[in-house]
Amino acid sequence: MLAAWIAIVAILGWVVDQRLVISSDLRLFMPSPRTPQERLILEEIGEGPASRMLLLAISGADPQAAAATSRALAAALRTNSEFRLVANGDAGLENVPDSLLAYRYLLSPTLDHDRFDAPFLHAQLEERVRDLASPAAGFLEPWLPRDPTLELLKLAESWQPSRQPQLLYDVWFDAAGKDALLVAETRAAGFDPQGQRKAADALQGAFASVRTDPALKLEASGPGTFSVLMQERTQREVQWIGSFDTLGIVILLILAYRSLPMLVLGLLPLVSAAVAGLAAVGMLFGSVHGITLGFGFTLIGVAQDYPIHLFSHQHRGVDPRASARALWPTLATGVASTCIAYLAFLFSGVHGLAQLSVFTVVGLAVAGLTTRFLLPHLVPAGTRNAADSRLLGRMWNAIAGLPRPRWLGVAIAAACVGFLWLSPEPLWQDNLGGLTPVPTALLERDAALRKELGAPDIRHMLVIEGGDAQTVLSQAAALDPQLESLVARGVLDGFDQPARYLPTQAIQERRSAALPAPPQLQAALTEALRTTPFKPGVFAPFLADVERARQLPALQPADLAGTPLEARVGSMLLERQGHWTGLVTLTGVKDPAALAQVAEGTAGVTLLDLRQASEDLVAHQRERILWCLAAAAVLLVIVVFVALRDASRVGRVLAPMALTTLVVLALLHAAGVPLSLFHLIALVLAAGLGLDYALFFEHAADDPAEQRRTLHAVIVCSLSTLMVFALLSLSTLPVLQAIGVTVAAGVVSNFVLALLLTRKPQRAADGR
Amino acid sequence: MAALALATPTLNAAELDLDALLARLARPAPDTTTFVEVRYSSLLETPIVVSGRLEHRQDGSLVRRVEWPYEEVTELQGENVSVERAGAKPRRFSLERAPELRGMLASFGALLKGDRAMLDRYFVVAAQGTEAHWTITLSPRDAKLKRHLAAIVVNGGGDRPRCFTLEEPDHDESLMALGIEAPADLPQPLERQPLKAWCVQAPGH
Repeated sequence: MLAAWIAIVAILGWVVDQRLVISSDLRLFMPSPRTPQERLILEEIGEGPASRMLLLAISGADPQAAAATSRALAAALRTNSEFRLVANGDAGLENVPDSLLAYRYLLSPTLDHDRFDAPFLHAQLEERVRDLASPAAGFLEPWLPRDPTLELLKLAESWQPSRQPQLLYDVWFDAAGKDALLVAETRAAGFDPQGQRKAADALQGAFASVRTDPALKLEASGPGTFSVLMQERTQREVQWIGSFDTLGIVILLILAYRSLPMLVLGLLPLVSAAVAGLAAVGMLFGSVHGITLGFGFTLIGVAQDYPIHLFSHQHRGVDPRASARALWPTLATGVASTCIAYLAFLFSGVHGLAQLSVFTVVGLAVAGLTTRFLLPHLVPAGTRNAADSRLLGRMWNAIAGLPRPRWLGVAIAAACVGFLWLSPEPLWQDNLGGLTPVPTALLERDAALRKELGAPDIRHMLVIEGGDAQTVLSQAAALDPQLESLVARGVLDGFDQPARYLPTQAIQERRSAALPAPPQLQAALTEALRTTPFKPGVFAPFLADVERARQLPALQPADLAGTPLEARVGSMLLERQGHWTGLVTLTGVKDPAALAQVAEGTAGVTLLDLRQASEDLVAHQRERILWCLAAAAVLLVIVVFVALRDASRVGRVLAPMALTTLVVLALLHAAGVPLSLFHLIALVLAAGLGLDYALFFEHAADDPAEQRRTLHAVIVCSLSTLMVFALLSLSTLPVLQAIGVTVAAGVVSNFVLALLLTRKPQRAADGR
Repeated sequence: MAALALATPTLNAAELDLDALLARLARPAPDTTTFVEVRYSSLLETPIVVSGRLEHRQDGSLVRRVEWPYEEVTELQGENVSVERAGAKPRRFSLERAPELRGMLASFGALLKGDRAMLDRYFVVAAQGTEAHWTITLSPRDAKLKRHLAAIVVNGGGDRPRCFTLEEPDHDESLMALGIEAPADLPQPLERQPLKAWCVQAPGH
């Protein structure tokens, strides 16, 4: 039977391994959006242009080599599917494809205030003559026959950001003139570490292939880089914690039971639980999030309890099956109550938490059931009797002799509640940034690069809503003058909006109508050429191009596909189910209130503060989770009542758990730790454990041998749990640390309180 | 026989002339020269003529001031070029976009410093003529530069350069006459052959 069990687990494990997809998108742990506004917020946080932007710096050799590498790298990245947009300051006219070239008269603002009549053309041609005599003649001369008014040059210049880093060798350099700077927008969302990892690898590969000097180094910074770093760190930490945990459990079990077969048997329910949990999550959700996986494996400390209880209560002369049957009611109550608590998370509306809940419930249920029904058949009868240990006997008597004033529990509870109620500090942490900290040095470097490059603000943006693309574009264009005045006042460093690249259809048609028909243009040109030294007929390509532009239909967002403008406009003009949204990205916001005023003055425009909005989302969701937990608590009390059927017993069993929760909350708050979702998860876990210990101590009642065996069991349980979570609390990642510290504190407190509070108060000092 | 005897010393003299000539041509900064520039282009029927001053500054930058028939200032500082005309936005670009300019600067700089090694690095150098009337022809070595610049021809006499001509592959040409104040001082009409002949024959300024 043992063989069969192991075989089933192995096969299931293999199947799970084949089909398991591990996701690391942190947005799974953020509230699910319900309104379009919320959806936009979450998408912007993870997928918006600012979050996809990687800031790159090439350094290490002389500037000319760095510039050449910058150009080569930009060219290589543009052909790479991982990147949508690459900018390095190179405003080369050669980069504009022919399809857009034809549209230059409709895209350029020249026709808004000038006409292609003889005086205008004459002035332009005079300037071109002078250009030919100037050093700029080299690159201007080839374009003159087609584009004597230099519309293309005007467009290329307007497509550069309004606030550029300095140009050296025609590419961006930092203020010191040593590092070449580039900006690359990834295809993968900012919060998707797998996708960002692929992009980072592609980046390094491209750099290695274009690098001319081995001394050149590439530095990348941005939300994507940070999420990859954090994922690597999480993986490393979970790995070493996991290995130490396993080692520790093995040692502990050997010490406790002095038997290798027991060790193997003890680990079986645990492994089955893990595999079953993974299979369930994989089937229901398709993928498992890394945090769920990491947390799930710390169930080592919890599911381990069930076999430990069985083993510790095992002694010579009693059939393991009977022992299991006797233990079952208590064990079942423990499993059921923990599962109920975790079921609350299923309804929380947070995807990642739902995964966690399924994993935990299935895992614990499987561990409990295998302990009850499968393990007893395999445990060798005739093992050490924990009750025989003299050490335990002495410990138990010492504990029984401790004074247990009734009022102590109430006093502690009152003190904690009072402290939490009256404390001026906020209890909860809403800032998502606190969950994944990045080393300060990296953050500072990112801020410096962001400032040099004028990269858009991640936090603030203006959102324009409309029924179709043209409405949104015209609203965006209407914002231009107001935003320009804000820039002039110094409130804003710069901004970017889609209408800058793609004028509205109305404007394009107006410009097209302003273009003269061929006969008029020919006449104007002939007149304009009169006092210039240009040869006649030189501008025939110009006449052809203007006529072609006159016939063109207005450029629509869909027409930009395959051109350099596609990514740029596409990230600022979004369509979602027939509803269009425009984004105005902002740089160097110094006074959000002024921007809010601008937004209020225009219909359909709102200022989005991503940080504020996300914090509101989190706070809102937390309320919902707390209500779910409250419902679960009520359910829990009912279940325990049904199991024990005695109000005072129920009271004694629930007291340690309730008190522990309050004490841990107070301790964390006193230590200045703001509470997050993960603290909540950990508190629920600790409460579940406390209930377990209390139930078992209560069950042991007055039989001294049982008491000692229970003590042995609970000591081993709590030590194993404590070890796992204490290791976790050593992690440098706040998520893992939060869970570790909370559960470790909870275990200690639960152990002590369960010991002290569950036994009926004894009058005599005999306890024997 | 006598002709041969006469020819050899002249050839040798021309060879030696180049290094010595370059040494004599060197001008310490700061230095200002007047110039008249005639530019021929395939787009134009008649050449454009401008005159002004060329300034070679202490920090190595070059300033080309056009004073007639309009005003324009071009500053070449390191890799960056800035062209500014009255009433228009300055046009800024880097030498990467104008390789022929880089070639011109390299030759100009080398001549101002008397640096033969620098000339050799960028150009194949050929010298002809006598000490009174010499011609240095510079052909670019770099393939990329060759696409924009066919040759640079420097004419002069004694220890002064007279003409600086940039010849482009498509027969466009830019001829700068140094030390000349006004276009009227040049042989009229301003056609290529007469001007070239004048450059070869005229004394140094």
